Amino acid sequence: MEAIEWNLLIVNYLFLAGLSAGAFAISSFATYIGGPHFRRVARIGALIAPWPVTIGVGILVFDLGRPFAFYNLFLTVQFTSPMSIGSWLLTGFIFVTLAYAALWLPAPLDNLLRVPNRAHLKDFSHWTPLSQNTIRRWRAILAAIGFPLSLGVGIYTGILLGAIPSRPFWNTPMVAQLFLFSAMSSGTATVLLVTALLGTRHEHGYEEERRLLVSTDLVFIVLEIFMLVPFLLHHALSTWSSASSIELILGGEYTLWFWVGVILLGIVLPLIIEAYELFPFILKQGAARYSLALSAVSAIFVLIGGFVLRFVFVYAGQASHFLPLVTR
Amino acid sequence: MAENKRRWGFVIEVKRCIDCKACMVACKVENAVPHDKHRNWIGRIGPTGTFPTLGMKFEPGNCMHCDNPPCERVCPTGATYRREDGIVLVEYDKCIGCRYCMQACPYDARFVHTEGYIDKCTFCVHRLDAGQPPACVETCVGGSRHFGDLNDPTSEVSKLLATRDHYVVYEEAGTGPKIFYIS
Repeated sequence: MEAIEWNLLIVNYLFLAGLSAGAFAISSFATYIGGPHFRRVARIGALIAPWPVTIGVGILVFDLGRPFAFYNLFLTVQFTSPMSIGSWLLTGFIFVTLAYAALWLPAPLDNLLRVPNRAHLKDFSHWTPLSQNTIRRWRAILAAIGFPLSLGVGIYTGILLGAIPSRPFWNTPMVAQLFLFSAMSSGTATVLLVTALLGTRHEHGYEEERRLLVSTDLVFIVLEIFMLVPFLLHHALSTWSSASSIELILGGEYTLWFWVGVILLGIVLPLIIEAYELFPFILKQGAARYSLALSAVSAIFVLIGGFVLRFVFVYAGQASHFLPLVTR
Repeated sequence: MAENKRRWGFVIEVKRCIDCKACMVACKVENAVPHDKHRNWIGRIGPTGTFPTLGMKFEPGNCMHCDNPPCERVCPTGATYRREDGIVLVEYDKCIGCRYCMQACPYDARFVHTEGYIDKCTFCVHRLDAGQPPACVETCVGGSRHFGDLNDPTSEVSKLLATRDHYVVYEEAGTGPKIFYIS
C-alpha cells in the first residue's frame, strides 16, 4: 500500500468495541458473583456496554468504500475471514448488550419492561410489568450468553490485525491476547471512572466494590505486560522483516507514542496508582487505600493508553512490510 | 487442453525491462483505470554495487494471481474469488470497500477504485476469454513480459521456466504467486 488505508476511524472503532466488551465482561462477572455489593458495577457496566460498540460499528460502516453495500457482510459467512466472523459476532453482541442494558434500567424506568397482555395487546399501560424475579433470571441468562461474546469481540479486534502475514508488525498471536486484555482493562477502567465520578452513594459494600474494580483492572494491566514483553522479544529475535518492523516503535516513527502513550500512561502509571491503593490489603497490613480521585486518574490513564495502543498498532502495522521492499 | 485445466501465469524477464511504462499505459487504456491509480507497476531494484560498477534493474509487476491468495482468504463478503483457471477476481457488486484485502496483499497489488470498491489486475480476463493476450504483454516493447498456460508444457512460459533460472517475490509468504521472474 502506498498510503495508510486504515486510519483514525478504525482506531476509534477498535478502541470502542474493546471498551464495550470489557464493560460487559465486568458487568456480567459482577452479576454472577451476585450480592448487593456488586450491583452498582453490574448496572453501570450493563448500561455503558451497548453504546461505544454501536458508535464504533457506525464509524466502521462510514469508513467503508461503499457504505451502502455493507449488507453484503450479512449475506454470507466466510470462515477464513476474521472480519466476516467478527461482523456476526459484533451483531450478536450488540443485541445481547441492548437487551441486557434494558434489564438493568434503574428503578422508575424498569417499569417499562413489560410483557403483552392478551386482553390488551394494543394498550401498553395494561401490559404486565416484569417481576423482579423474572428480571434477575434474565439478567443471569444474558450475562451468561454475553460473556463469551464479549470475550470474542475483545479478542477479535486483535485477531483482525494478527491474521495478516504480510504486515509483519501485526503477525503474531500476541496481538490478539494484548487487545483482549487491553479491552478488558479499558472496559473496567470506564466502570471505575463512572463509579468514581458518581461518588459513594452507598457506604455499604464500598470496600468490596473498589476491590473488585481496582484489582480486576490491575490484573489485566499485568497481563498486558506479559503480552507486550514477548511481543517485543518475538519481533526483535525473529526474521529480517519482523525485526525491522519492530524498529517502528524502537526508534522509528511511533516510538514516542508507544513508550509514552502505551507504556507510561497506559501501563506504568495506572499500575503504580492501583498497586498503591491495593498494597496494604494484599500484604495484609491494614485497609486498602481506595480513593475515588486516584481511581478516576488511573482510569483516565488506562483509557488514553488503550486508545494509543490501537493507534500505534493500526498505523505501525500498515507501515510494516515484507522485505526487501522494491521501490515503485 | 480442457478449459478448466488451464493455469494462467506470467514470466517476466527483468533484464529486458527498460522502464518505458508502456505496459502501464496499455493497462490504463484497456481497462479504463481511474486517474492516479494503477493495476500494474514497474519496481526499481537498485542502484546496486559501488561506483563505477553500478547496476539497476526494473521489476515490472501486477497482481500475482496467487495459488493461495491471502486477499481471497480475508475477504469478508466473498467478493474476491478464484476462477478455475487460477485467475483471482473481485466481484465489484459484493465488495464493500473494507480494504482488508489491501492489508493482506504482500504485493500491494490492490487499490480503492474511485467508485469505492477494490480493484486490481484481472490478467485482462475479457481478452483471455476472447483468445487474446493481456494488454501489457501485447504492448511490451522489450519483450520482457510473457504470458501463457503454466499447465501446458509446450507454452512459451513453461518452456522459459524449464530452461531459465527464475524466482518469485516473497516466496516465504506462501502465497504461491504466478508471476515468475527471470533475473
